[in-house]
Amino acid sequence: MSRRRALFSYLAARLVLAPVMLWLIASLVFLLLRVAPGDPVDAVLGTRAPEAARAALRSQLGLDRSLLEQYGQFLANLLRGNLGESLNSQEPVAGIIGQSLPASLELGITALLLAALVGLAVGFSGIARPEGKVDLAGRLYGVGTYALPPFWAAMLVQLVFAVWLGWLPVGGRFPPTLVPPSGSGFYLLDSLRQGLAGGDWQALAGSLRHLTLPACTLALLLSGIFTNALRLNLRRALASDYVEAARSRGIGERQVVLRHALPNALLPVLTITGITVASLIGGALLIEVTFSWPGIAFRLQEAIAQRDYPLVQGIVVVVAALVVVVTVTVDLLVALLDPRVRF
Amino acid sequence: MRLFPRLAAGLITLTALFLPLLQACQVQRRSERLVVATSARVGSVDPVRASTFGATQLLSAIGDPLYRLGPDGQLEPALATALPRVEGDGLTVRIPLRQGVRFHDGTPFDAAAMVFSLERFLAIGSLSYLLDDRIASVRASGSHELELRLKRPTTVLPELLSTINLTPVSPTAYRQHADKALPDRFVGTGPYRLTTFSDQQQRLEPFADYWGTRPRNSGIDLISLGNSTALFGAMGSGEVDVLLSTGLHEDHQQALQQRAERGTLRQGEGPALEIGYITLHTDQPPFNNPTLRRALAHSLDRDRISERVSQGLRPALRNLVPPVVSATGQNLWPAYAPARARQLFREAGYCDGRRLELPLTFRSNIPSDRLMVLTWQAQLARDLDDCIVLQPNGMESTTVYRQLGEGAFAAVMLDWRGAVPDPEAYLFPLISCSEAQGGRCLKGESALSGSFWTEPGLQQTLVRSEGLAGDERRRLLLEIERRTARAAPYLPLWLVAPRAWAQAGLATPRFDGNGRLLLQELERQP
Repeated sequence: MSRRRALFSYLAARLVLAPVMLWLIASLVFLLLRVAPGDPVDAVLGTRAPEAARAALRSQLGLDRSLLEQYGQFLANLLRGNLGESLNSQEPVAGIIGQSLPASLELGITALLLAALVGLAVGFSGIARPEGKVDLAGRLYGVGTYALPPFWAAMLVQLVFAVWLGWLPVGGRFPPTLVPPSGSGFYLLDSLRQGLAGGDWQALAGSLRHLTLPACTLALLLSGIFTNALRLNLRRALASDYVEAARSRGIGERQVVLRHALPNALLPVLTITGITVASLIGGALLIEVTFSWPGIAFRLQEAIAQRDYPLVQGIVVVVAALVVVVTVTVDLLVALLDPRVRF
Repeated sequence: MRLFPRLAAGLITLTALFLPLLQACQVQRRSERLVVATSARVGSVDPVRASTFGATQLLSAIGDPLYRLGPDGQLEPALATALPRVEGDGLTVRIPLRQGVRFHDGTPFDAAAMVFSLERFLAIGSLSYLLDDRIASVRASGSHELELRLKRPTTVLPELLSTINLTPVSPTAYRQHADKALPDRFVGTGPYRLTTFSDQQQRLEPFADYWGTRPRNSGIDLISLGNSTALFGAMGSGEVDVLLSTGLHEDHQQALQQRAERGTLRQGEGPALEIGYITLHTDQPPFNNPTLRRALAHSLDRDRISERVSQGLRPALRNLVPPVVSATGQNLWPAYAPARARQLFREAGYCDGRRLELPLTFRSNIPSDRLMVLTWQAQLARDLDDCIVLQPNGMESTTVYRQLGEGAFAAVMLDWRGAVPDPEAYLFPLISCSEAQGGRCLKGESALSGSFWTEPGLQQTLVRSEGLAGDERRRLLLEIERRTARAAPYLPLWLVAPRAWAQAGLATPRFDGNGRLLLQELERQP
């Protein structure tokens, strides 16, 4: 089978499996939520509401129907693309996700870019003299940032830069005294557009200031992964036969590193990036909670606490779908870039 | 190859430059607007759904109730012009309404609008059960007169009608939402208009056509920050002008109080309407033994616990009804007396080689609960080590609430805040019982609260109190509370008062009688 055909078959298989995977995940979440102790009626009415009021609300929310009926309804709605309404706010779940997901993506993408930039630079910096001081510092950085407990790092960063120095806001996504820009939900882009259109750059400055601490903290935590991955893969590549062959042909060390070793060392990094992106779509819960960042993970945590079944189900299904898309995309990208990959 | 260390150094330098640059780009604070922060997020601003502190705080600034409780706790008409007038049979009540009031959308407020709002609340309101068993029907008996038909005589109607959830909404704006909540918009009559809403941030602008006293500031931005450190830090850095105590850890509150004492902040305190208490499962051993319950009541060193857990910010409480509501000044529950506790434990068959193992459940997501349980555990180990050993059991609050009525806990720590500042709002939800068998409550609030305690005739006395008024009612409710204290199915622990801190350049924050911050009174001082 030709490589192109194999790639096509692989893609087709993943596409066929994706709905099955989503169905499994959705069913599992549906079941686990109902098995878990706690009642959404408590979240809406409180615990002291009379039984009649509770029964009326249960009926209104469709919670009095059999589990099978509820499951059937859930799947039927899902097939129609209807994620239902939040039990608490009665807002459409799709709308809530539409508000929260851009916040998480904005934070995640910025953090990932920063992490890649810093992590790869640090990982690269020690290559000139392996086991030298710079290499050792890079190794320590990689291990240290990877091992940092996220909640501790986030609180420390918050304490130093927001509370003690007062340089940046403590939390939130946008200055409270300004009206958030409307548009895509990505405040950086929306406020940039607003600035370009009206010359008012306050919104952009505000968005940037609010994004800086959570994004930098998340980037710091993620950068160690890139540092370690690049360091190890680059060292492995530099010790390989094709690099030795290049050197023996008289190619300069810089050319050897940049042209021969680096592209090969970056391929595993691409896979790691894919996995990191996938995990970031679900949100960086501790970062979002610490910095009061209204992202999807923050929302999911609240919805779980309130046993808001439709909202939890909706968020999990959407996040799972995005994770599937990202992982397939990364797999394809790696396959396209690396001729050694077989299917 | 020296390029790469240089690159890294450059990046670090860039980052070091970037932060101060951003700091320099600080958004200019518009001095006339005020930023008020709390940990409470607002899921829905619709009065039919609003039940959390954050939602009712917001509603109290953008809506008006028929009656309101002033800072001194006195009931005063708001959208009503006088107290309800009860007709001859005691079941028909007429309420005259204020004229010249407009909704935020410009439409006039009248009796028809009030009927629309009340009927909507009764039909789809989350808290409609507060009125369901009292109000049979609502109608407009005049353009500005409301007529309520009651199911039974009740003397707390004005207090109930002071509930902010009964604030009227514009029938024009809510026509499409008569039977469905409108979570992210509000069109009412309050001193502020809600111009931007998200669960984390709400923007309020003064309502130009407001019928009452205009707000003293040019607008409020309510924000929610996710944790106590963030709230405390935001106050310290001047990012927020006013901070509410909801969600703030005790040590942060204490630090803010100290700053207020030094004059760098201004502190306001509202009425202490929230109680912390322990429920004992009286229908199961060991707490079906009243002697043991009394022993436990005597073993609780509330003052010490309050000092250790909250540094005195949560005053010790020996009643179910907060003093600000009952106004009796009497402590009904047994005082801390370890010797007496030991004697009672002995009477119950403990001490002298047999220790009571007490599993005390607490909500693991509430820091003060955990501290309280650990402090009490240490105090019991010090005072009554040979009689009782406390076994803390942390559990997520949602799970605790769900299992409470199923009798899952021998002892559990909880809190409660009455819907209105009236003794009834504390006694009924804890001890009323619709179906009993001797001293066991099978169905009703007492069972839902996890104590399952009642006494023959108690429910009838509770119901009788509803038809009484004035001193006679107060005496009867006090007697009911006294009976409860003797049986000790609950152990009141402490009181929680709302607090707010404002930056030094602002007026001292004040609360209304329902414990909500008066946002319209916040102002910068020259």
